[in-house]
Amino acid sequence: MVDKQSTSFMRSLCMGDIEEDVLLPFPEMPAKDAETLRQVVASLAQLLGPKEKDFRAWDVAGELPAPFLEELKQFGLFGLVVPEEFGGFGFGSTAYSRALQEVSRYDGSVAATIGAHQSIGMRGLLLFGTPEQKRRWLPKLATGEMVAAFCLTEPGAGSDAAAVKTSAVRDGDSYVLNGNKLWITNGGLASFFTVFAKTGKPEERGKLTAFIVTRDMPGVSTGPHEDKMGLRASSTAAVFLDNVRVGVDHLLGEEGKGFKVGMRILNNGRTGLGGGCIGGMKRMVELATRQAKGRVQFGQPISDFGLIKQKVGHMVVETYAAESVVDLVAGLIDQGYEDYAVEAAISKVFATEALWRTTDEALQVAGGNGYMREFPYERALRDCRIFRIWEGTNDILRLFIALTAMNDVGAQLADLASSLKGVLADPIKGFGVLSDYARRRASLATNVGRGKGAFTRLHPALRDSAEVFEDATRDLATAADRTLRKHGKRIVEFQFATRRLADIMIDLFVLAAVLSRVDSAVKRLGVEKSVREREILDVFAGQVSRPVKSNFGKIDDNDDELIKHLADDAFEQERFDWDNL
Amino acid sequence: MKILVTAKRVEDPESKIKVKADGSGIVQEGLKYKMNPFDEIAVEEGLRLTAKHGGEVVVVSIGPKDVQEQLRHALAMGAARAVWVNHPGPLDPMGAAGLLQKVVEKEKPDLCILGKQSIDDDQGQTGQYLAEWLGWSQGTFASKLDSLESEAEKAKAPAIELSADGKTLQVVREVDSGLATLACSLPAVVTTDLRLNQPRYASLPGIMKAKNKPIEELTPAGLGVDVGLQVEVLRMSPPPPRKAGVKVGDVQELFQKLKNEAKVL
Repeated sequence: MVDKQSTSFMRSLCMGDIEEDVLLPFPEMPAKDAETLRQVVASLAQLLGPKEKDFRAWDVAGELPAPFLEELKQFGLFGLVVPEEFGGFGFGSTAYSRALQEVSRYDGSVAATIGAHQSIGMRGLLLFGTPEQKRRWLPKLATGEMVAAFCLTEPGAGSDAAAVKTSAVRDGDSYVLNGNKLWITNGGLASFFTVFAKTGKPEERGKLTAFIVTRDMPGVSTGPHEDKMGLRASSTAAVFLDNVRVGVDHLLGEEGKGFKVGMRILNNGRTGLGGGCIGGMKRMVELATRQAKGRVQFGQPISDFGLIKQKVGHMVVETYAAESVVDLVAGLIDQGYEDYAVEAAISKVFATEALWRTTDEALQVAGGNGYMREFPYERALRDCRIFRIWEGTNDILRLFIALTAMNDVGAQLADLASSLKGVLADPIKGFGVLSDYARRRASLATNVGRGKGAFTRLHPALRDSAEVFEDATRDLATAADRTLRKHGKRIVEFQFATRRLADIMIDLFVLAAVLSRVDSAVKRLGVEKSVREREILDVFAGQVSRPVKSNFGKIDDNDDELIKHLADDAFEQERFDWDNL
Repeated sequence: MKILVTAKRVEDPESKIKVKADGSGIVQEGLKYKMNPFDEIAVEEGLRLTAKHGGEVVVVSIGPKDVQEQLRHALAMGAARAVWVNHPGPLDPMGAAGLLQKVVEKEKPDLCILGKQSIDDDQGQTGQYLAEWLGWSQGTFASKLDSLESEAEKAKAPAIELSADGKTLQVVREVDSGLATLACSLPAVVTTDLRLNQPRYASLPGIMKAKNKPIEELTPAGLGVDVGLQVEVLRMSPPPPRKAGVKVGDVQELFQKLKNEAKVL
């Protein structure tokens, strides 16, 4: 059995090991949850289905009306993840993700409102709250009497969360909070705020602490609704903290551990957004197929044409891939794995980008209609653009994915460096590390003697795609080793190189998820009846193998320096340098 | 008052129905199922009546184990408990009415509300057989004067009215020439038409509560009913594909075509 506390599929993969126990079998939703969800899905269709015109109007107006919010609360949508003992419905990550998927099929703003409440707003209380804190607030959060918001971002602290300026100064048995939080989802609706403030000295970086702040506290106020590109009916507002006095019983986690608290919240809540992406993609497949069958050009429905089929076929593959990776991560969380930060980040990056591509292609299938507000495509495109920016921009997450996943490789190299020095002092221990490393490199090079270098439990029908994965795994381990030896600790300065490794890792983990899911399908349905799913796997493996190969090639042979020159020139000039006039 | 309502499991009308190549039935793989929409209206009306007059709604379904899903849905909407007649095989309206009759004799409700028909076979006979065999009065195709946008509908008022002495029901029903109002003495069987009410959705609190509500299992043999088929399905076939229509330039041309080509005038 794998150690669920410390095993990460991707960190192992960078060492060249395929942890099959983590990956197989593909996680299934417990039957009890599935039955509940089937009913929820049917009820949501009754609640949200007839409101298509309203959603469009609320997007223009920029607000969800209060009676509708009340209806969502009565339905129970604010208490999905709250344990039953506190009046909620106790959904795990898989069930929660599936529920958000369904909501987002109807409207992004509604999904964002209940998602921000549960994925991040109250998640800190769920993960780090004391029993007393939970008793005090969870019942009200479950009914939606209190709406929650996550307050980290500030004017000067976006991706660089450690740059937070909001301060919390200890005064007796309380803290006094001062600062401004920006672009807070649910800011205008919330009365429960998870606030990150600096408890260290102002000039110190880090030393963040998480606090529970409620709207009834003197000094808490919020700004006007922001006028946004998309998700316009969801509330986004600034939150102001002016000498807000907060008791020590409002600390969330330990003092000074706020950064960790924040990251755990974001990692743990990611499958909510992932579910939202999948709902959006499924809707796009439905809309685009109907649109294409109904639209006649050159005397034929455009669904007959190859270029339209190509788009729709790829939309199906992307949706399947995104759903596989999000469900796999949700399954890992539900099974009690604790080291899933890299995998969760990959699911966020892939699902949000796949949703963008799918929505863009659906709009293209709809042609001029897609550009008209009368049709749902342009709103869907506007709504989903923020997903690549919030909850960690996909750029920052790429760096995070590559650097974190290569941790073990780096640690082994560090051991190696210190052992080289220590060989003479302690030859036996020193040679141990050296020979471990030498054995791993030799086995990667020759593919002999690798314990976990290949799949052993996948269905034989998936052999071709499994080989794509195994070959790439070997390349990844070699590349990680070579990149780290080349750049050492300075790797953080080489973002071009890091990004390429991240892209390889993202492609590989999603492929692993698709392999796992199709494997389960083949074993459940048989080879013949799983033909469509096997086709999806073949297409996706082919789609992944090309960029992965090209990214490997570029580790040593690339145009990074040229691109940098052009960018630096542009920064210098602040304009495009060429003109024919 | 105690009300017995039905909840038949039917193919979801949104799914694509395909007839098997040999015509022996429909392809069931990948099909979605739901409660017969007319039965949903029956459950809703039952819940509104008991909300106003007190009492409880008991829901009954006949079929394989899967029908428990529809029973749970009715329980999540607010029914108090459920009766499942375990019968996996085919069933015709007489068989269904025979089983329901025995359930009614066992449960002794004051009122039975059924959908006027189920959207799978559209036979529309079960309610009438049931009333006849029980010897009860019947109000079929129950509807109402108010629109589904009316204030009464928003307030979830029952459309079926109970007299002050509690002995008679007033049922508005749809007939060819409009609406007719009947007085039915209780106990009675009512079947519901589409415009009776807008059924509620099951909220999450309702769905969770439903998990702990009891479902009692009965069998045709236990009830002493022979469900041998009176109606035999010989073959199923899909309706022929619709032919493309034609556009006419003006009313004159339309009349010409109706008269000379369609020969309906």
